[in-house]
Amino acid sequence: MARIEIEHLKYQYPATTKLALDDISFSVEPGEFIGIIGKNESGKSTLCQAIAGLVPNFYKGSYGGKVMVGEIEVKTVEVNEMCKTVGIVFQNPFNQVTGSKLTVYEEISFGLENMGIPKVEMIKRIDEAMELLDIIKYKDRNPFDLSGGQMQRMAIASIIAMQPEVIILDEPTSQLDPQGREEVFQAVQKLSKKGITIIMVEHNMEKIAQYSDRVVLLNDTKLVAIDTPQKIFSRDDLDSFGVEAPVFTKICRGLHLKNEETGCYPVTLEEASRLFQRLVKEESHNE
Amino acid sequence: MKSISLYEEKGSVLNKIAPESKILYIVAALVIPYLIGSRWVSLGFIIASILLLLSAKVIRKTVPILGVSGFVLITVLLIQGLFRAGNVTPILSLGPVVFYKEGVNFALGIVINVLNILLSFCVLILTTKPSDMIENFVRKGFSPRFGYVFISIFQIIPQMTETMATITDAQRSRGMETEGNLFIRVKAFIPLISPVVMSSLINTKERALALEVRGFNSTIQKTFLNDEKKIPADKWIQLGMVVAIVAAIVFRIVLVVMYFM
Repeated sequence: MARIEIEHLKYQYPATTKLALDDISFSVEPGEFIGIIGKNESGKSTLCQAIAGLVPNFYKGSYGGKVMVGEIEVKTVEVNEMCKTVGIVFQNPFNQVTGSKLTVYEEISFGLENMGIPKVEMIKRIDEAMELLDIIKYKDRNPFDLSGGQMQRMAIASIIAMQPEVIILDEPTSQLDPQGREEVFQAVQKLSKKGITIIMVEHNMEKIAQYSDRVVLLNDTKLVAIDTPQKIFSRDDLDSFGVEAPVFTKICRGLHLKNEETGCYPVTLEEASRLFQRLVKEESHNE
Repeated sequence: MKSISLYEEKGSVLNKIAPESKILYIVAALVIPYLIGSRWVSLGFIIASILLLLSAKVIRKTVPILGVSGFVLITVLLIQGLFRAGNVTPILSLGPVVFYKEGVNFALGIVINVLNILLSFCVLILTTKPSDMIENFVRKGFSPRFGYVFISIFQIIPQMTETMATITDAQRSRGMETEGNLFIRVKAFIPLISPVVMSSLINTKERALALEVRGFNSTIQKTFLNDEKKIPADKWIQLGMVVAIVAAIVFRIVLVVMYFM
């Protein structure tokens, strides 16, 4: 599994005057789940595309610093080569359908055919990916006939089948209804359990808090912090970066209930309820 | 799912035959009657095409295709039969309207040729999945990029049409008038064109990214999930077609040589 190392990354899109990423440095350990948060235009998507090699190899533009995925320096490798190591899923599931395949099964094979994977191996990988994403029942359906959530799971399956070491999900649920969103999160959870490194941009802070090992907070193209969800969402200046803490954190903050061991507010329902239960127990002991 | 492809899977032998065999059939159906110079050969190919389409259970799908061209062909028959220069032999009189043998004969030649072209193409397009055809070509060295463009058109154009309809509805709900005289329709076109072009550009960029991260531009030798579409008889069908075309060419050359001798 590959470690990701980003050193002093700077990037400016062609025909623009402002940096899209400004001196970003951090590293990601193999198997980690990293959430990326920040307000619009903070550089979240650009950062994802820099890790996948689309920046600068697809967009061109001015680039400085270094992104290493394992032993590969991303800038020096073509995107069609990089996709074997880093897979990326975009916001709009509809635009990720190739349009050249008539069934979901064939659609998932698209990347594998391009990679020259032998047919027997291809079938094995497609079956595994479909099973993992729970879309086997749609295998003979036309990709355009799927719902948003199903289509997004198909897009993830298409990437999974290519067996990358890192999967980047750039707001994969932003255009989905609540059911579709839940389907995608369940799928992502399964991938995380398999030990795949996941980097996810998401506006749903409850989900980021629930799944992430660490959270990257970006603001105005710069890295503000990378830390555990508890530490990030307990920051007093979080609002100034246009980011809202999860609802459980907000409640606990309102009640001034911090976890004494970590010095942070709870970020998930489980953490908050554990804290409440402990407080109730302590209270009843005192009485 | 809407698709502009006319292909229909009926499990017939024609569905299983290699697309190259059907393309060779089209070439034979167009070239041989021309080289031999006989209308009867065209008629023979028309009958062969009809039998093939019947065996593939897709003959009904030819009705709309023939319906559209039928209107044009009837017009040709009427105009040539009535007004062709050199019309001298009347064959039918309806009061002052006189049909002439020479004009009708000439028009029949056109009708037979057009029907031959349409029906032979129907044999290909109604029984061949576009992706199978392109995959077979890519296997033989055709560029996968051009192949992708050709195949994706069949699904992406209907999707773009749907997007256009959605944008039209959205603009109409904001008070845009789309019905009325030509001026109103032209005026309605302006607020439509910008969002349609913008959304198309955005979609195209996003799709290009999605293709790129799935190795679309990879230089590795492509593999295929589906087996090559062909049956054992394909080589004999293709050989037969090539022999027939070569024989027709030889026949024509002999005819020309004999004419000058």
